[in-house]
Amino acid sequence: MSTRQRAVLLVLPALVPVAAVVGAALVSAVLLSLGLTPLVGQPELSLDAWRAAAGDLGTATRLSLGIAAAATVLAAGVGLCLALAATAVVRRSRLLGALAALTIPVPHLVGAAAIGLLLADSGFLPRLLGVAPGDWPSLVGGQWWVAVVAEYAWKESAFVALVVGSVLASRARSYDETAALLGAGRWARFRYVTLPLAAPALGVASAVTFVYTLGSYEVAALLGRPYPEPLPVMAVRLAGSIDLAVRPQAAAVAVTTAVLALAAVLLALRALRRLSAWD
Amino acid sequence: MSGTLELRGLTRVHAAGQPPALAGFTLDVPAGSCVAVLGPSGSGKSTVLRLTAGLDSPDGGSVLLDGRDLAGVPPERRGMAMVFQRPLLFPHLSVRDNVAFADRVRGVPRRQARERAEHHLELVALRGYGDRPARALSGGQEQRVALARALAAEPRVLLLDEPFSALDTTLREEMHDLLADLRVRLDPTVLLVTHDPAEADALADTVAVLDGGRLQQAGPMRELYAAPASLAVSRLLGGRTEVPGTVRDGVHSSVLGALAVPRPVPDGPGVLVVRPEAVRVTSPADPAADATGTVVRVRRRGLRALVAVEVPGPGGASVEAELATGEELPAGRTVGLVLPVADRAVVPPVDGTPSDAARSPISHG
Repeated sequence: MSTRQRAVLLVLPALVPVAAVVGAALVSAVLLSLGLTPLVGQPELSLDAWRAAAGDLGTATRLSLGIAAAATVLAAGVGLCLALAATAVVRRSRLLGALAALTIPVPHLVGAAAIGLLLADSGFLPRLLGVAPGDWPSLVGGQWWVAVVAEYAWKESAFVALVVGSVLASRARSYDETAALLGAGRWARFRYVTLPLAAPALGVASAVTFVYTLGSYEVAALLGRPYPEPLPVMAVRLAGSIDLAVRPQAAAVAVTTAVLALAAVLLALRALRRLSAWD
Repeated sequence: MSGTLELRGLTRVHAAGQPPALAGFTLDVPAGSCVAVLGPSGSGKSTVLRLTAGLDSPDGGSVLLDGRDLAGVPPERRGMAMVFQRPLLFPHLSVRDNVAFADRVRGVPRRQARERAEHHLELVALRGYGDRPARALSGGQEQRVALARALAAEPRVLLLDEPFSALDTTLREEMHDLLADLRVRLDPTVLLVTHDPAEADALADTVAVLDGGRLQQAGPMRELYAAPASLAVSRLLGGRTEVPGTVRDGVHSSVLGALAVPRPVPDGPGVLVVRPEAVRVTSPADPAADATGTVVRVRRRGLRALVAVEVPGPGGASVEAELATGEELPAGRTVGLVLPVADRAVVPPVDGTPSDAARSPISHG
């Protein structure tokens, strides 16, 4: 048996369940969306469900991509800063790192509720600042999905900080000192050394954040507005509808989300191969 | 290009309550010279470099470059470059861009920086390696690139922190030759830290021996070999013969008998040290023999053998001697020992008996 075959065999126990669950779910969603496994009636290949969903699907896709992109950019920026601060030698910043890490075990649902209580027009923040509910911008359920993006950015920034921080903690300091002794000031060291060294980890963490945010339901459902809906909210609403005939539409939305996520992962992997200058 | 470095009373305490890592360290590194700081692991020698480079700040004392106090000057403005034990090449850059790094951050245009990098790669005999990724080099090549990168920064002082200790013997000697060659061509001021007396001997004009955070002795290597100032220096340089006794009027009395000392030594207790390569083994009947004893141990050292001769008497004494090439002596043989006057040295005794740790001061790591 070659080493390659053995490696494949060793991976199989992990690969089989993942392929079975994800594969089966995706295949059944595709079949359902194409009218091949109807709840009632004869199976018949049709694009009816896709056509019916098409109107809202475009808006939902744009919205979902927008929310995910905004949250990812914010989380990556804040997370990188946290990681830099936490790996600095100052003790106070280590406390900062610990506080950031505490965010990770908080469930998104709890986070969403907390952000809602904080940012709503009758929430904690407007009261603290003494702003009347009428004058407070509609951050929760408003046009710009501020509360939703804020929740994802807050939660995921801690994740980004953890991943990037662990890479920086082990390697950045000696490279930083080397660069300093070659005449690089603070900014040059960040630009030419720290950032390139952190880039692969930052890229991976950002890709995970983007895909997670794209496919996650509860925060957008709780803090978003009723219409337009992002993809996951739309899929869940259609799937839970009392009108069983819209189930194939729900499947079409779910398949769209999965395809987008897959495309994002593939793009990220391609970019990372170029970025990862080291093992 | 090369500057004059002066370290004045440098003191560094890593943690309150602990003995200082470095205490009142003073050293001159004249422009264009190579000075080695020699010491065992944990002696504070790396601390000397970190304080000089500004990576740590001293708790006392000062670093002067061309007479200017560098207190508060950040590492990037000190005009120093350092090569560490690990090459620490930037993994995201090619070999050429690693060497061009200092120029790039100084704002030199990319093309010009790369041309200069090629020149420096040529200096370390790595012409044509510029396009390779930094990861695709062997250990010796990596360290050459690190050296080229440091030289390209045109430092006023080049700091070397055990840069060759991770390399095998052949490579290390190649690097020694390379550094000697670079010194001739570029005349840099070099402050080198090492635990290897042979390396210090091969590279440095002056050697400062550091032990327990304190300067023990500084001077040319020959002087340290001939007249170590303390037991610690003698041991660090591989001296193994230590005969306790008393000095009176320039004569050391011990189980070896009364032996004249070449340099003036204060009266009182003193330990006679003599290097094994200076001791001559002869027949017990030889009238020139200073003492007689029995060979108790023979150790091979290439073509030569190192013998330990036990001299009887109250307390006894062990004298180590290196035999001439090809000469053989079995254990148990009675021999005479000649300790040439010029090679005798007397150092102050340390309090208490030397511990095992103190006896094997050279560690590798």
